[in-house]
Amino acid sequence: MDSKLFGLAQTEWRWLIAIYLFLAGVGGGAHITGVVADFLGWSKVADIGVCLGWPCVLIGCMCLLGDLGQIKNAWRVTRKPDTSWIARGTIVISIFMIIGFVHTVLWVWPGSMAGTNDTARHFLGALGAFFAFGTMVYTGLLLGDAIPIPFWSTVLLPILFFVSALSTGIMAVVLVGVTFGVDQERLLALGRVDILLIVVEGLVLAAYLHGSYRIPNSRMSAEHLLRGEAAGMFWVGVGVCGLLIPLVFDALGVHGVGAVAASILGLIGGLCLRYVVLAGGAMYPMSAAGFEFRPIGRPKEPMPAIGKLPPS
Amino acid sequence: MARYGMVIDLKRCYGCYACMLACKVANHTPPNVFWSRILKGESGTFPNVVRQALPVLCFHCENPGCVKVCPTKATYANEDGVVVIDKNVCVGCKYCLMGCPYGARYTVKEWKSYFPEGLPLSELEEFQKNAWEEKSGCGVATKCDFCTSRRKEGKEPACVAACPANARIFGDLDDPNSEASLRIERDRGFVLKPEQGTNPKVYYLAPR
Repeated sequence: MDSKLFGLAQTEWRWLIAIYLFLAGVGGGAHITGVVADFLGWSKVADIGVCLGWPCVLIGCMCLLGDLGQIKNAWRVTRKPDTSWIARGTIVISIFMIIGFVHTVLWVWPGSMAGTNDTARHFLGALGAFFAFGTMVYTGLLLGDAIPIPFWSTVLLPILFFVSALSTGIMAVVLVGVTFGVDQERLLALGRVDILLIVVEGLVLAAYLHGSYRIPNSRMSAEHLLRGEAAGMFWVGVGVCGLLIPLVFDALGVHGVGAVAASILGLIGGLCLRYVVLAGGAMYPMSAAGFEFRPIGRPKEPMPAIGKLPPS
Repeated sequence: MARYGMVIDLKRCYGCYACMLACKVANHTPPNVFWSRILKGESGTFPNVVRQALPVLCFHCENPGCVKVCPTKATYANEDGVVVIDKNVCVGCKYCLMGCPYGARYTVKEWKSYFPEGLPLSELEEFQKNAWEEKSGCGVATKCDFCTSRRKEGKEPACVAACPANARIFGDLDDPNSEASLRIERDRGFVLKPEQGTNPKVYYLAPR
């Protein structure tokens, strides 16, 4: 643990929650991509996007359930939507998954209504896209509502997660699209949209870190990402894998194996982004009468074993 | 109805960790869980440096951040103003650990031994584990409850009783004549992180 963040950083939400935030974003992004493609009449891209959306979110929810301490009480979460973003988010995500599932069953597979009723499909798709939007933004609002952690409680975080979610959603569609032999022109068009999203994501990320750095209470968190312990994952995982390589590959218009590689790296970058944001989450120290108080010792780490075990 | 609170006189506290241990003994908390703990602070530059201890616990805020984020209302303020957790309702989502500005909340997956891995729990540890699981439980959020069980017996919280310097005063903040209220009034008690708007019921008196 970074000496500066020691005892202040949150240690409870780690990979499982990062995967959950990431997959909720990918699922929502893929669904929106699919619905937009449907309006454009690109039926194959539309099918892939809609089919990819809700299962991704479902896997993410499994990770969230795996992180809960008392899974037998999980059903209680949906009963009090006025309380917390977890409660509201659970409802939004559940509605999204149900709409996505119905959409898939009716129009993709087994597709009993395929080829008929365009208006109903477009309507359900748009409704699903609305809840997909909610799912993507919610991941940022969830962290943003933790007011004691200044690195998270900013307006830019939901925006950052939304843009990253759209971008990774498109990458997931491209990844599956290449495997299923979607028309190259359309994949390249998706790539061109992704260029724009990656540039916007980079700008929002820069603004987010700049803002965090400027605020004294969250400066330690920004330093943790920029040159602290999470710097490797931030610069290599988020910067190079998630932003630079997909940007270059999309700009060059590579297809086939190149597009697959760029998409996989971009998805890894999206996951790394969620993880470093979680890892940087820390409270600021308490201060009183000119002192800044910090914990001493290592209260949340395992105790070292003293000596050897006696023979049993 | 009472509105329980505490005053901690930093002038008297010399950071002996008696409260931290007394809390462990009274509440059978597992390793690495400290409902009551001590933080250390430094001020000044060498050679004129002063160190100060800061005992912290759950501040039982009037406007608690943990209650605001709880998705199941498992945590709430009871009629005494003490913030408690219903372990049968808590899902263990750990959102309240992020919602508390003071890091007062803990959660553990299991009651692990204090000793190297592979050793069976000692008799005392078995007892502590059972007592912990009955009162707080694994997988759910846990924190200080101003020693509910001791208060039922008419005793003060364990950290207050253990303090050798009498730095802690426990009392009813609604009663203007209680010692706690008088000390807050007279010695200008302050709270930590007031900018968070949580309005804690644990007050501090300035060290010098």
